[in-house]
Amino acid sequence: MSVPELADLRARRSWRTTKNTIMMGVLGAALLAIAIPLVLVLYSVIARGAHSAFAAFPDFFTKEIPIVSRRPGPGMGPAILGTLLATGGATLIAVPLGVLGAVYLHEYGGTTRFARLVRFMAMVMTGVPSIVMGLFVYVAWTIPFGYSAFGGALALACLMLPVVIGSTEQMLKLVPGQLREGSYALGATKSRTIITVVLPAALPGIVSGALLAVARAAGETAPLLFTVGAASSYNGHLFSGANTALSVQIFGNATSAFAPAQDRAWGAALALVLLAFLFTLAARLFTARFATKR
Amino acid sequence: MIDLRGRPAHADTTFRWLAIAAAGIVLVVLGLIAVIMTRRALPVFSEMGVHFFTSKRWSPADELYGSLAFLWGTLYTSAIAIALSLPVSLGVALFVTQVAPPKLRRPLVYVIDLVAVIPSVVFGLWGILVLAPHLGRSFLTAGVILAIMITPIITSLAREVIETTPPGEKEAALALGATRWEMIVGSVWPHSKSGLVGAVMLGLGRAMGETIAAALVIGSALGQITANPFASGNSMPAVIANEWGEADDLHKSALIALAVVLFLITIAVNLIATAIVRRSTARSRGK
Amino acid sequence: MKLRLAIALAALALSCGKKDDGGNGGNAGKTTEGGGGGLVTLDASGSTFQKAFEEVAIEAYTKQHPNVKINYGAGGSGKGRQDLADMVVDFAGSDAPYKDADKAKLKGGDVLYFPILLGAVSVSYHLDGVAKLQLSPETVAKIFQRDIKKWNDPAIAADNPGVTLPATDITVAHRADGSGTTDIFTHFLDGGSAGAWKLKAGGTVEWPADTQAGNGNSGVAQIVTATNGAIGYVDLSDAKAAKLSYAAIKNAAGKYITPDAASVSAAGDGIAVKDDLTFSAVNSKGDAAYPITGQTWVIVYAKPADKQKAAAIKAYLAFLLGDGQKLAPDVDFAPLPKALQDKAIAQLGKIQT
Repeated sequence: MSVPELADLRARRSWRTTKNTIMMGVLGAALLAIAIPLVLVLYSVIARGAHSAFAAFPDFFTKEIPIVSRRPGPGMGPAILGTLLATGGATLIAVPLGVLGAVYLHEYGGTTRFARLVRFMAMVMTGVPSIVMGLFVYVAWTIPFGYSAFGGALALACLMLPVVIGSTEQMLKLVPGQLREGSYALGATKSRTIITVVLPAALPGIVSGALLAVARAAGETAPLLFTVGAASSYNGHLFSGANTALSVQIFGNATSAFAPAQDRAWGAALALVLLAFLFTLAARLFTARFATKR
Repeated sequence: MIDLRGRPAHADTTFRWLAIAAAGIVLVVLGLIAVIMTRRALPVFSEMGVHFFTSKRWSPADELYGSLAFLWGTLYTSAIAIALSLPVSLGVALFVTQVAPPKLRRPLVYVIDLVAVIPSVVFGLWGILVLAPHLGRSFLTAGVILAIMITPIITSLAREVIETTPPGEKEAALALGATRWEMIVGSVWPHSKSGLVGAVMLGLGRAMGETIAAALVIGSALGQITANPFASGNSMPAVIANEWGEADDLHKSALIALAVVLFLITIAVNLIATAIVRRSTARSRGK
Repeated sequence: MKLRLAIALAALALSCGKKDDGGNGGNAGKTTEGGGGGLVTLDASGSTFQKAFEEVAIEAYTKQHPNVKINYGAGGSGKGRQDLADMVVDFAGSDAPYKDADKAKLKGGDVLYFPILLGAVSVSYHLDGVAKLQLSPETVAKIFQRDIKKWNDPAIAADNPGVTLPATDITVAHRADGSGTTDIFTHFLDGGSAGAWKLKAGGTVEWPADTQAGNGNSGVAQIVTATNGAIGYVDLSDAKAAKLSYAAIKNAAGKYITPDAASVSAAGDGIAVKDDLTFSAVNSKGDAAYPITGQTWVIVYAKPADKQKAAAIKAYLAFLLGDGQKLAPDVDFAPLPKALQDKAIAQLGKIQT
């Protein structure tokens, strides 16, 4: 293509190029459309949350929650511990099960009827509203065994399980078949191949998927509302005793008439957002390592 | 050697069964949910019969429980949320992957994935303390909050789908003289269509099941079936969250019945999504 | 194999968790190892109405008794009763007693009702230029079911001789969540409005569509504050905290009474109390009684499953009914009238420790 011709093309703004410019503008506008409300939300959370969470640093993150909610003063420590306990417990349940389940789907099941059923049901399960999980665990666990962080962990695990299965299966698909064949050729059994070759190869991706699931779970409210109870002091026991969580505290304090309680809700919101971001960033780091490795 | 072969074989079977059991847990949990919840919901189903689905009157004082208005509220707010969110999230996903300068792409993707994990209760807090005082409590307010909430999620999924378009197809379109927009319409869109449906359906599922954010701003009017977006209404998960605390026997059963219906609807949405995806992939293969 | 180990460990821990609860079935809170003098945790849930009082009482009590921890989850009276019936908590806070039909579902046997305070529900309003307002139950009923839509309606004017009322539209605000406050308010209307109230009494009411709902007392207070012409019902303590104006309400004796500690306590004098200490303080006959006065109980099992906890519950209740009563006015509630207080204290002996 000679230079004069190019200049020609550029000079004549046809309908096609105009349309292109307009549509590019529309796409850019979409970015603005979502950026504005999100910035507003984050601004409120950071401005109001920082005021309450960092005014008395580090007390807000360590002190117990004031028993009298109308009184000003810091303290979300027990809620942070409760959130970590419930999500930690959920991770211990959902990740091993989810990874194993995905191993079955990809390495054994393939397209058998049972595998297809499980795959479909896992998809159905991702769609189960979180409040349904909460009610389910309340009926199945809390009524017979009482309030505890573990009840919350169970409900969150139900939410995480299908997500972990899905993301792990995706990662297993990325492991090249030659790796497996190489292992078989060396005489390894299938289980040994999976444990020593396939899973390590997919590990960064699996971890990253799990961390994203954890980030989601940490922010869930409805499943915890019915299952963890209402403590205002530290409870490090996973299996016994009422506990609390950041999301539950936000929900409770959001509807309080008292400014100090609302302040604590904003502080807890900031803490929760930071926690979720932390898990997401960790996931990103793992993905980045995965990408450079491959 | 014989010894070695014998033991791993045993371990092999154990591992295999372990994996099958783990996969089976999904079925067990879903089965338990269905059985336990349905059993708890039975009293209201037998008391109300078909009226539970066809009546819009929900009156705990009269022990009358009709869920129609809440079904409407759930569908209407989700529809508002999707209508607001769909164009925006597709636009952003396309902008990030096809238009933004390469240097900007990575940071943008990071930011979108980051905001996608902001917990819904945080949006609820913002909704009740910041948005509701200005916008009131209505279907629209709930729809807007839900839209803000699901847009990053749909965007994040849509971006992943769009990025799977083979670069060859895009370059071919550009080489033929297509503008960037024509390349998007001609190459990216046909390739990603079915995946995008999945992304949107996931967003829809989230919007329908979202409890806390909706419960705080929807206005909680009973029996409202109206297309007026500024009217107060109610959605199924919001009713459960708002009324659970003071509910007695049959009322509680009615709330669990709402959960069961919500569960069935999400299954239906998933089935429809699968069907759409399957049909469109079959068609594109048929071409 | 690590995965298997983890699962096995989890299962083990799980079964231990179950065993801890022993034969008692109830399991809220952790019990102490090593016997007396250890830490006791009491879990409770229920009424949001008594939450503010429970908070100050728990703070004061646990300061005196550092070995006791009490968690009160204000999830609603219905939830409290359900949790106690299922033995998920050690005591429940509730604004209403169990219905007879529900008594069979109590897993821990007979329960005892301990009234702990009386509290007012205010009819709060926001009307520029009107500093004092009086309302009769009939007028309140008509306002809240939208029969009256303007502030200068003759019915309101008749309640307020000499007051100039503007033609402002009335905005009705009510609770979005099921609530004991709604229950008290609607029982007042149902019983006190001489048939004017048509929407029945209960925690969840079929409000007309052109009303507004807010979550919690604060949600209602927020609507009232933000809207000129708004009226809503809010717990007195929350109404005061939100600096709302509230109306004087005509009581059964025909007097317009403003809610305060004295008029609420007075409501406790004119009521009939049953043997199990259940009663209704709404629409009390007393001359100086504020009519929208609610009652609330702590409900416990007569034979708590755990002896150590039984003693702790008894001691805490003794505090609530004794020194704790002095804390009620701090959070805008009224202490129990003397006669009722004595009956409740006498009933403490029925808790088997």
